[in-house]
Amino acid sequence: MYSKWTTRLIIGLTLTFLIGPFFIIILAGLSDGEFMTFPPDGISLRWYAKVFTVESFRDSFKLSMFLAIFGTIAALILGVPAAYAISRYKIPYGETIKTIVAAPIIVPGIIVGLALLRYLVVPLNFTVTLALFMAHTALILPYAVRVVSSSMNNLRSDMEEAAVLLGCSRLGAFTRVVLPNIQSGVLAAFILGFVTSFNQVPVSLFLSGPGVRTLPIDMLSYMEITYDPSVAALSALLALLSVVIVFMAEKFLGFSRYV
Amino acid sequence: MSDAYVSLKNLTLAYGKTVVVPDLNLDVRKGELIALLGPSGCGKTTAMRSIAGLMAPKSGTISIDGVDITRTPANKRGIGLVFQSYALFPHLSVFENVAFGLRLKKLPKAKIASMVEQGLQTVGLAHLSDRKPEDMSGGQQQRLSLARSLVMEPKVLLLDEPLSNLDARLRLEMRNELQRLQRDTGITMIFVTHDQAEALALADRIVLMKDGIVEQLGTPDELYNAPNSKFAADFFGFENIFEIEGSEIVGRTGRLTVLIDAKEGYLAWRPSAITIGSGPHQGTISSMAFAGELREYIIEAPLGQIKVTTPSSTPPFDIGSPIAFDLAIDKARHLSKNGEET
Amino acid sequence: MFQNNREGLALALPAAIFTALFFLLPVGFLLSEAFKVDGMWSMQGYFDFAIKPLNQTVFLRTLKLGFLVALTSAIIGYACAFSIVNLEGKSRGRVFGLVVLPLMISPVARTYAWIVILGRTGIVNDAILGLGLSDTPIRILFTETAVFLGLLQLFLPLMIISLVSAMENLPKDVIPAARVLGANWLQVFTKVILPLTKDGLVMGGTLVFTGSLTAYITPAILGGSKVLMLETLLYQRVNVANDFVSAGIIATILIIMSFSANLLLKRIAKARS
Repeated sequence: MYSKWTTRLIIGLTLTFLIGPFFIIILAGLSDGEFMTFPPDGISLRWYAKVFTVESFRDSFKLSMFLAIFGTIAALILGVPAAYAISRYKIPYGETIKTIVAAPIIVPGIIVGLALLRYLVVPLNFTVTLALFMAHTALILPYAVRVVSSSMNNLRSDMEEAAVLLGCSRLGAFTRVVLPNIQSGVLAAFILGFVTSFNQVPVSLFLSGPGVRTLPIDMLSYMEITYDPSVAALSALLALLSVVIVFMAEKFLGFSRYV
Repeated sequence: MSDAYVSLKNLTLAYGKTVVVPDLNLDVRKGELIALLGPSGCGKTTAMRSIAGLMAPKSGTISIDGVDITRTPANKRGIGLVFQSYALFPHLSVFENVAFGLRLKKLPKAKIASMVEQGLQTVGLAHLSDRKPEDMSGGQQQRLSLARSLVMEPKVLLLDEPLSNLDARLRLEMRNELQRLQRDTGITMIFVTHDQAEALALADRIVLMKDGIVEQLGTPDELYNAPNSKFAADFFGFENIFEIEGSEIVGRTGRLTVLIDAKEGYLAWRPSAITIGSGPHQGTISSMAFAGELREYIIEAPLGQIKVTTPSSTPPFDIGSPIAFDLAIDKARHLSKNGEET
Repeated sequence: MFQNNREGLALALPAAIFTALFFLLPVGFLLSEAFKVDGMWSMQGYFDFAIKPLNQTVFLRTLKLGFLVALTSAIIGYACAFSIVNLEGKSRGRVFGLVVLPLMISPVARTYAWIVILGRTGIVNDAILGLGLSDTPIRILFTETAVFLGLLQLFLPLMIISLVSAMENLPKDVIPAARVLGANWLQVFTKVILPLTKDGLVMGGTLVFTGSLTAYITPAILGGSKVLMLETLLYQRVNVANDFVSAGIIATILIIMSFSANLLLKRIAKARS
């Protein structure tokens, strides 16, 4: 094999390229100067503090949280039974159903946002929030189905049969035997869905109205008008939020095997 | 049969359009230990699953103790099944695995505790009640699965390949345990296996199946000593089977004249029924394998290959040397073509 | 027990209906708009779109960048994946986790970091001025280079993940075996590693390629209106000109490209199993 040092060098360089930029924005946000520079002009937390004073961020943060949490829950409510059916039954038109459910992965988000705006919000009077909710749910659904399916496939179906022979109803077998054993898969799907939704930009580009903006969209427009270190600070905070969630998930679930 | 407890009548089982079992009729007596024996794909597991209610028959009826249960859902049948994979619940402790069905019956807590305790005692797992199934050995998991079914006091206990996942020593132990349990509880047991030795050692009666059809039904003694078809004979160790044509038997490479009344069917010899070292026929020893109590020889004869065993206490013959052997008619089993013994 | 397929259908149908109704239907309507000019069904929109030089430039640029990003990440990806697979159990998991991590971080934050690095007062220009390589800061932001770097950082992890899992499935000891039989490293790569991991390469390549084609944030932030790609062009056409025909056409192009890539992936997955 090639040498230990070559291995380390390659990995080191790649990780620097992939992760280095985050350290730079974290530090850039700590600057005491008025403009974005690196290395930072002195050290202060004032730009990190400023992020929390921007009024619109609070609303957009709330909206993004709402979409990420409830969009994911809705996707799981639809997705868990679908994943169960796909892994246990030979459904008529099963391939068609799988293709439909998986479709949102290959449709670029920007198109989805535009389509929902043109055909749900404008003619049918859906509120922007509702349209966003629909779009996020549909977007997370394929991930939910995939992750839950893979943990369902690891579960032998004779366990459910055993439960039924011991007197369970079918639903009972699902709640008493299947659900407890796919828990971590469902949780992983939730986290993956949450992060995907929370970071989602293209879908929300066209789906924004007065006072209704997701956080990443709000950030994009804030970036256009601001060039002080608060933008770096905000980016750093967002990145840290994701890192914390993923770190916890990895620690408790071994998350990376579900990605 | 008037004393039938479990009764399958004209049972047809199919997966979609593929018929696996065309027309099965079987009566099992109360307290009997019966084996469904056959190679994989013979329909034995499918038949067992239909008794459990995990598979709906296309036609025919299943009844227990005179009550038709063909349409009764699996969770209301009162039948136990020990899965080949054991199908234990990995998220529950040993105790909770056994208590699972009892809790569904909404029995009082104290009653459940004592029944579980007793159930675990029966299979010798009382000291492990706090463990998780994954921390147990294969043999212990098997016992746990057994206890989980037994505490439900099922009318019939089904076992799917109960010994196949165990090593040789545990297999013997489990076999004795199953027999003891059956004696003590008097429960009716039906088990599925592909291993003739297992069926012979355990069962009161054996149902030998092939392609969804019952090939022969009888006591272990009957099947072992008096198989009545080529398939049954082959399955129970008659490894030298030759077709009769007129006054000759036909092997792969030649024929041999024998003195026999029958004009058709097969003649079959166990390897141990053929004498070597003396006799009217000649061959060459092509290989020898030492198998503990026996030596196994392959003899190349004009008739074809012949498999012979001798006790290993007798001196061995040399590989490659010519050898005389005797296909004695009185030690052969005659099988008729259509499966009926003559 | 699972033979009642209607039961299965009833469980799977709500998800499919939801997606069909609130997702596919509106998208389908949008795509059909490209065939309507002044309320009439026509292919005219496509012809008009195709002859505009800007559209041609943007289309070719998008393909070019997608291809370059996929190619570069394949090269880096092989080196990196091979190194990761050579690590011992625990540090392998850790490094793998660090590679996956950026995928979970907001692309806005990921892309914004490049402004700090590539901007006029960024690190790179500081270094160039400091070393005296140039008297004035060089413009890197709002060039294809910036977009390329941003996309590469965004999608490289997908390639590494695909290649790592392909290499983990390499039969044990094939590489030492090839070495013992006299192959040099180049031959080991071209004759053993490459053929045995080509599924992973195609999988990773498709993910990176389609990811780059359909990325919005990176070209928006690092390319701006100077380096338009298909998605940013679509946004501009709708926002500036209310041009839904162009939007529908770009959408169709994007979907066709993603869909073909996805089909390719599925075929590979099937061939493998």
